[in-house]
Amino acid sequence: MSGDDPSTDGDSPPDPGDGERATESDGDASASDSRWDAARRRLVRLGQTSVGERVLIALSALVLSMAVGTVIVLVAGVLATCRDPALTIGGSTLCYDPFFVFDRLFLGALGDPFAGGWSPLNNQFAATLRETTILVFTGLSVALAFRAGIFNIGTQGQLVVGALASALAVLWTASLVSGTLALVTLIPVGLLAGALGGGFYGAIPGALKAYADANEVITTIMLNFVATLVTRYLVRNHFADPTSQATQTRTLPDAGQFPAILFDPRTDFSILALLLALAFVGGVYYLLEHTSFGYDLRTAGIQPAAAEYGGVNAPRTVLSSLTLSGALAGVGGALFVMMTLGKFQTGIPSYGFDGITVSILAGNNPIGAVFAAFLFGVLKSGSNVVSFATNVPPQLVGVLRGLIILFVAMPEFFRLIGRRLAAGDPESGTAVTAGGGADD
Amino acid sequence: MEQAVHLDGITKRFPGVVANDDVDLAVEKGTVHALLGENGAGKTTLMNVLYGLYRPTEGRVVVHGEERHFDSPRDAIDEGVGMIHQHFMLVDPMTVAENITLGNEPRKWLGLTVDRTTARQQVVELAERYGFDIDPDARIEDVGVGVQQRVEILKALYRGADVLILDEPTAVLTPQEVEDLFRVLEELTEQGKTIIFITHKLGEAMTAADEITVLREGKNVGTVPADDITREELAEMMVGREVLLDVDRSPTEPGRTVLDVEDLVVEDDRGVRAVDGLSLDVRQGEVLGIAGVDGNGQSELIEAITGLRTPDEGRIEVDDVDRTTDSRRSRIEAGMAYVPEDRQERGLVMEYDLVENGLLGSQHAEEYASNGRIDWERTRGHAEEIIEEYDVRPPDADAEAESLSGGNQQKFVVGREFARDPRLVVASHPTRGVDVGSMEFIHDRLNGLREDGRAVLLVSSNLDEVQSLSDRLAVIYEGEFVDIVDPDAVTEEQLGLLMAGQEPDEVPSIAAAGEVGP
Amino acid sequence: MTDDGLVDSLRSASGRLLIAGVAVLALLVLGVAGLVAPDSTAGRLFFVLASKSTLAATLRLSVPIVFAALGGIFAEKSGVINIGLEGLLIISAFSAIYGADVTGSLWAGFFVGILSSTLLAALFAVVCIEFRADQIIAGLAVWLIALGLAPFASSVFYGGPNTTNVGTLDTITIEGLASIPFFGAFFDASPAVHLMLIAVLVSWYVLNRTTFGRWVRAAGENPKALDTAGVDVSRVRYAAVLLSGVLSGMGGAALAFNIGQFTGNGPTMVNGKGFIAIVAYLFGNYNPVGALLSTALFAGLDATQLRLQTADVIAVPDSLVQTIPFVAVILVLALVGRTRLPEAAGDHYESGEE
Repeated sequence: MSGDDPSTDGDSPPDPGDGERATESDGDASASDSRWDAARRRLVRLGQTSVGERVLIALSALVLSMAVGTVIVLVAGVLATCRDPALTIGGSTLCYDPFFVFDRLFLGALGDPFAGGWSPLNNQFAATLRETTILVFTGLSVALAFRAGIFNIGTQGQLVVGALASALAVLWTASLVSGTLALVTLIPVGLLAGALGGGFYGAIPGALKAYADANEVITTIMLNFVATLVTRYLVRNHFADPTSQATQTRTLPDAGQFPAILFDPRTDFSILALLLALAFVGGVYYLLEHTSFGYDLRTAGIQPAAAEYGGVNAPRTVLSSLTLSGALAGVGGALFVMMTLGKFQTGIPSYGFDGITVSILAGNNPIGAVFAAFLFGVLKSGSNVVSFATNVPPQLVGVLRGLIILFVAMPEFFRLIGRRLAAGDPESGTAVTAGGGADD
Repeated sequence: MEQAVHLDGITKRFPGVVANDDVDLAVEKGTVHALLGENGAGKTTLMNVLYGLYRPTEGRVVVHGEERHFDSPRDAIDEGVGMIHQHFMLVDPMTVAENITLGNEPRKWLGLTVDRTTARQQVVELAERYGFDIDPDARIEDVGVGVQQRVEILKALYRGADVLILDEPTAVLTPQEVEDLFRVLEELTEQGKTIIFITHKLGEAMTAADEITVLREGKNVGTVPADDITREELAEMMVGREVLLDVDRSPTEPGRTVLDVEDLVVEDDRGVRAVDGLSLDVRQGEVLGIAGVDGNGQSELIEAITGLRTPDEGRIEVDDVDRTTDSRRSRIEAGMAYVPEDRQERGLVMEYDLVENGLLGSQHAEEYASNGRIDWERTRGHAEEIIEEYDVRPPDADAEAESLSGGNQQKFVVGREFARDPRLVVASHPTRGVDVGSMEFIHDRLNGLREDGRAVLLVSSNLDEVQSLSDRLAVIYEGEFVDIVDPDAVTEEQLGLLMAGQEPDEVPSIAAAGEVGP
Repeated sequence: MTDDGLVDSLRSASGRLLIAGVAVLALLVLGVAGLVAPDSTAGRLFFVLASKSTLAATLRLSVPIVFAALGGIFAEKSGVINIGLEGLLIISAFSAIYGADVTGSLWAGFFVGILSSTLLAALFAVVCIEFRADQIIAGLAVWLIALGLAPFASSVFYGGPNTTNVGTLDTITIEGLASIPFFGAFFDASPAVHLMLIAVLVSWYVLNRTTFGRWVRAAGENPKALDTAGVDVSRVRYAAVLLSGVLSGMGGAALAFNIGQFTGNGPTMVNGKGFIAIVAYLFGNYNPVGALLSTALFAGLDATQLRLQTADVIAVPDSLVQTIPFVAVILVLALVGRTRLPEAAGDHYESGEE
């Protein structure tokens, strides 16, 4: 059937669902060609709700996940067997104390700000900022793609490829240069290699989506597996560190690693890297809001048919935004190599998947991503404190990550609660769902 | 006679809008009742109330003498009220019989399995009883719109409907299919069914209905027998004043050819040749109008010309430059303005404010974005100029497009496109859904562009519009021009035949562009 | 106009035909090579492929993917895109082992696995249908929750991401038939394999011949048509999503009992099978039998790579060989490209005004 016919459609009242119906009509090729377009648009729209509402939903989601997390820890505490129970409620003993867990998770990650003698330069806080730095990049990577209407689940793989590219480029360059020259070239070379590696790896699903119509959710997930396997092969068979049992490259020279300034070098955190991350945040924001390319990208993400009408080359936008998205992930990988590890090693933590949560929590807004990345930095570094201080399995953070995404994905739930709380105004309730009724 | 339906003092409010204001409607059993009104008059809302899709804010719904409170269409169906929407509620990949029995399937084997033989038999019998010629095994996606409409009617009858509401049933039909439909309606009323049909076309209401109720701005203006009222009286009831659709058109001397289309073939999404070897040209200072029933290739033709769809064969030249395979962007840059058919899907980004929407299509233009950096200051000024010149309300450049009414959205799109200083204007249904005042304004502007020496290609399903604005009028049928005629000399009847693909005798046709001349 | 459907299906079929054709051609070439020169690499490869144990491995590896794909078909046909199949497999794989460990019965464990997967699917259904969450994000959340929860629970109960071994399901062997070359694998297999084949046929019947199946298809194509026909769209969608939980639960449990243990490191033992299942049913055009065949393609590649590693036919490092199924999935997606998904998939549906 052909598309809607607004001339005969105009008889209905100007209900809020009308526009939606129009955008979801199947009249044109680009709207019907890809799977999940409607979902995508609704997702992009997440970023369009008011900042206040966003923050409120993000915080509520956080609180709710903590609450569910508490229940999980309690239940696990009852079911687990242990020598010295952490908590006794009534007659039963629990192995884990959820309050202590969350205390360690949050306060521990900040280095116990209320314990006295706290300094913002403490080592645990440095670890939190170190994780934050990488997460800013993966968050930006996912957010940039989301804004273009693309689900980049492959940030993890792009980060892994970027990390290896960066390590190899630095090691190779270091064999050519030395002294001051090494000091000024190695880090830029490493960053560039990371961006190119990640960008290339993002371009693959980009091209497949743009020119072969292959759904990027699946291809990027598959490419994550491929990245892990191929980098393992490369490191094991061609670039292994002969002195180590682990699957890793040789350690980078000092000139190829980010210098520790202010913080203890043992924390593997460099404030320079964090500043670099913030500069990238500014850059991505500027790109999205103040350039023609950003306008094309956002329009393609929000309403592909209108973008096409406005002269946006959809395939090219898809390709370039996934390439850019991959490059951001690749720079994150480069930082992981040049700051955190000092080499490439297989088994890179799941920064990419955390990046999805960071981006969704931030409503795909680059500036919001800084705050969301910090929150996840706290969770990641806090989970180490937790596994050190308690015997609660550190995978708890993984559960929280999933729960947060789940709750952020259902703003309607919070609106419903909000309406219940506001109560006493039945009319407003019907009004809202009347719009929803025409949603289809 | 017995009243089948009585709506008593129905008021329906939406946030900020009163869609129906104390409307009374009485429909007698076994008659056809037309609900006539302009777009936005509240016809569909009123029928959605009767059908249980909306609950009335005030008023009573009485069916067959008893007051009813319908909470959903299911309740309405249970009481014998069925509705056939403009957008058919059919499952495309399923067959005719499957669609008709959906939800009420005859079953076998513990009630788990569909008894397909019985289902098919029931459908065949039902179709025979009402004289419908229909293949129960055809898939919905393979049959034409007219058949789909009959399937919808059978679906309602299968569920035991004796009051049938049809929402704009003729919008997608050819004149012949419309005749068939009216015959079907007659057959149904003879068998005791009651029909309410919603329309904005005067002629249809007068032809098919026994009684006509006119709605205007949510109010019932009056109910009249179809036999003793004139078109003029009905028209005045609909709009509330006498309609003046004539544009003051001064003769122009067409200049050189701007758009030249040769032997164009365009396939639609399903691979069918929607445009089938069509040629046209539009010159400076003239309006070429295209009339036709929706779905005869107009959309595909326009999309191919504007660069939204790749033609399969043929050539498109603008100012003697071959642009057949050019990108949309380079066509914009070549001076092509385009008012799209669907403003909410194409013409505006609904969640952008008007500032950002004013930039759509110009985001790479040096004027608003130098070296890829957008000058938001200048862009805002541009949007504000459009708002002021085209009287877009509310006059707020920061308002999101979706917060504007349809008419104001359209004015903004038209304003933006006309402000491009175009060589060629492609306007598809430029006044769809706008009020009469804005319509006149947009017509004046279009005419102004023409007098200014621009080339205009106009597509509209509004015959009055294409007839009064065009210098030449092409009639499209199944992807080809049946003829190109002089809009001032052709009659509505002749146009109707042309739109059905038939060549009537003595049409004032204009074969080639050179022979035109008012 | 009447040819539209045909043209359409031909178009979408061309990618599939291409892939199927290439696969058959490759087999033929290998077969000829195998007969002409049994000692060449190609020849040895052919005999690896044509062996009964390769088919047995293919069937075994297909089980979790096929079950998840069947679940995915029901959910997506009803209009709910369930991208969380991976998570359902993970959670049921762990729960099945835990249940078997606690009760001492593998079949009780099987049931526990199905139950947990169905519960997680129910959560997903409520979030998507009741609270109108974005289906893709909610599906990702289901995956990530399970990816965290299963190793977490494993650590709580077993002190690490890997559980103890509870043993595997006994294979059902029919003497005589089992010794048929190649096809004997069907008669010398785990009951999970037979369950899978039954599930494929039953799913086909339910989808195409029952009222429920018809409602599921209508709910995904045009929910309004179903609603106005008096059927509650939400209930149909709930049922379909829960069914995807039940089916994925069978798949996850079967996967776990194939080894007798849950391993929860990295992407866990499920290792992308839920996502491969999505591609399998897309490639199989939402047809249960098609999903079985396309899964057999992916699983066959996987089985071949496993056999190649042991048989030492071609000296390729195992890391690279392991990428074969993933790369195959990407290639299939690229070649099939656009699939005709149900019209209303991904959209929320609210009936009436309330």
